[in-house]
Amino acid sequence: MLRCENIEFNVDGQNLFSNINLNLKPQKDLLITGPSGVGKTTLLSILCGIQKPTTGKITYNSIDLYNLPENKIDEFRGKNLGVVFQNFNLINTFTVKQNLEIAVSAIDTKTSIPFFNLLDRVGLANKSHIKVANLSIGEKQRLAVARAFVGDPKWVFCDEATSSLDDKNAKIIANLIKDESLRCKASLVLITHDSRIKSLINFSNILKLGDEL
Amino acid sequence: MIVGITIITVSILVNQVTKETFSKNNPGLDAVVGAKGSPLQLILSSIHHIDIPTGNISYQNARKIIKHPAIKSAIPISLGDNFQNFRIVGTNKSFLKLYKANLISGTTWSQPMQAVIGYNVSKVTKLKINKFFVGSHGLIDTGDVHAEQPYKVVGVLKKTGTILDNLILTSLDSVWNLHSVTNKDKLEITSLLLKYKNKTSSFSFPRLINKGTNMQAASPSFEISKLLKLTGNAHRIVDYLSVLIIILSFLGILFTLLNNINERKYDLAVLRTLGFSRWKLFSIILSEGMIISILGSTIGLIFGYIVYESMYYFSIVGRSLELGQLNFLYDLFLIWIIVNIIAFITCLIPCIKVYKQNIRSTLLNS
Repeated sequence: MLRCENIEFNVDGQNLFSNINLNLKPQKDLLITGPSGVGKTTLLSILCGIQKPTTGKITYNSIDLYNLPENKIDEFRGKNLGVVFQNFNLINTFTVKQNLEIAVSAIDTKTSIPFFNLLDRVGLANKSHIKVANLSIGEKQRLAVARAFVGDPKWVFCDEATSSLDDKNAKIIANLIKDESLRCKASLVLITHDSRIKSLINFSNILKLGDEL
Repeated sequence: MIVGITIITVSILVNQVTKETFSKNNPGLDAVVGAKGSPLQLILSSIHHIDIPTGNISYQNARKIIKHPAIKSAIPISLGDNFQNFRIVGTNKSFLKLYKANLISGTTWSQPMQAVIGYNVSKVTKLKINKFFVGSHGLIDTGDVHAEQPYKVVGVLKKTGTILDNLILTSLDSVWNLHSVTNKDKLEITSLLLKYKNKTSSFSFPRLINKGTNMQAASPSFEISKLLKLTGNAHRIVDYLSVLIIILSFLGILFTLLNNINERKYDLAVLRTLGFSRWKLFSIILSEGMIISILGSTIGLIFGYIVYESMYYFSIVGRSLELGQLNFLYDLFLIWIIVNIIAFITCLIPCIKVYKQNIRSTLLNS
């Protein structure tokens, strides 16, 4: 269960958003929409433990995220959350496989991850030794999705995962995210201003920034 | 860093070995009497067999000194020839007792042109009992040999760890015969190695020789301490230079790491989003710096030792040096520890920078 209580965020004394409350049950999904500049990416950062909110409380099951020491927040994110960033945040000097390996090493897992199966599912099996810098935008997006699911996370966050893609690729990525979430039995939180997404994924919850769930 | 540690290692080894060698080579001698000239040169040539002698003195005059009531023991030595750069020393058998020398094989000389060779001489030249060799004129091998009168090896000495290991000993008669000196009044030696009956003679006796004769008496301990003081200053300058190089290498490590994390700040922020904690990244950057420092300082120590060993094997002076005690290990270990502690402190600067990194703003700015 992901619970947000009275989340508020101010930038330089200006209120970006306030009074965000939501409850997301296990294996349910949530679409957060809103126009550009409303604070969608900031909210995602807050939910992932990257940016502390000005006020409010975020709990994953019974764990109060921002009550954890900073190091534990990083570890919690690595072990429980999968994040697909808007600009991918891949390491461009690494190969496709190395990007997945470094993500696994952050989790400290002892179980071996079947990279080939994962890459096969995202259609990058034949590109595992290619450097990220040489991939197309669509391929980078698929790799970012693969990396988010590498440790079988319980909550997955995607920021504008389809916005920069054409219809065909947007459908591929949306299906991929949906399928991987089902496989991991993860709750999915998708942030976008891309209107196509509603026709690609049937969300159980929708939050328009400023509106309560 | 490698250069700095190499220089400081060589400096420590040379300093240590020089002190040790000078101390071991002098078996309690109080004075050396020889021809007038530099007293240090007389000591270096007669006891340590490094420098060339100041000249010769009359054996007749030397015998008067031997019989002087202040003298407990006096051993004449005569230098002038070498075999493959190992000095041939004409002397008497008391010289062997002075260094408490024992034979591995053979016996001591009983007639002219018989020689007893030191341990290192037998190792390097492969000379054995009953083998013959010819000496060369001078104290360095020039190829100008006494071909008509070869020496016969009659004994090989056990290792002593002193200069004796590098000497070829023979009777004074051998040296005189070889140089065709037959007139007993014209016999000469290089110097006399003296021990006093009473230490109080160390003030009066040299004055007697220096003022009353055409010879000089020099004190080994006084001259060597003067020399060590001089070389000590030189060592200090070399040490300061190497410390400067090491400081520059610390700055090198610091700026390399800072530059490195500046170039990788985006990647480091990505690692944080993947679950790497601040401490984990802190320890990764610290490990990188310390690996450079530990490798650099260790390679520096090894290079320093290799340079010292090369000096030992490839120089004639080096042959007179012997690395006996391992006291230097403590000094080198201490330097290694200090260098790495400073490197650790230096590495903390970039590590703290990584620790304080704001991942959201780094990712947004990238």
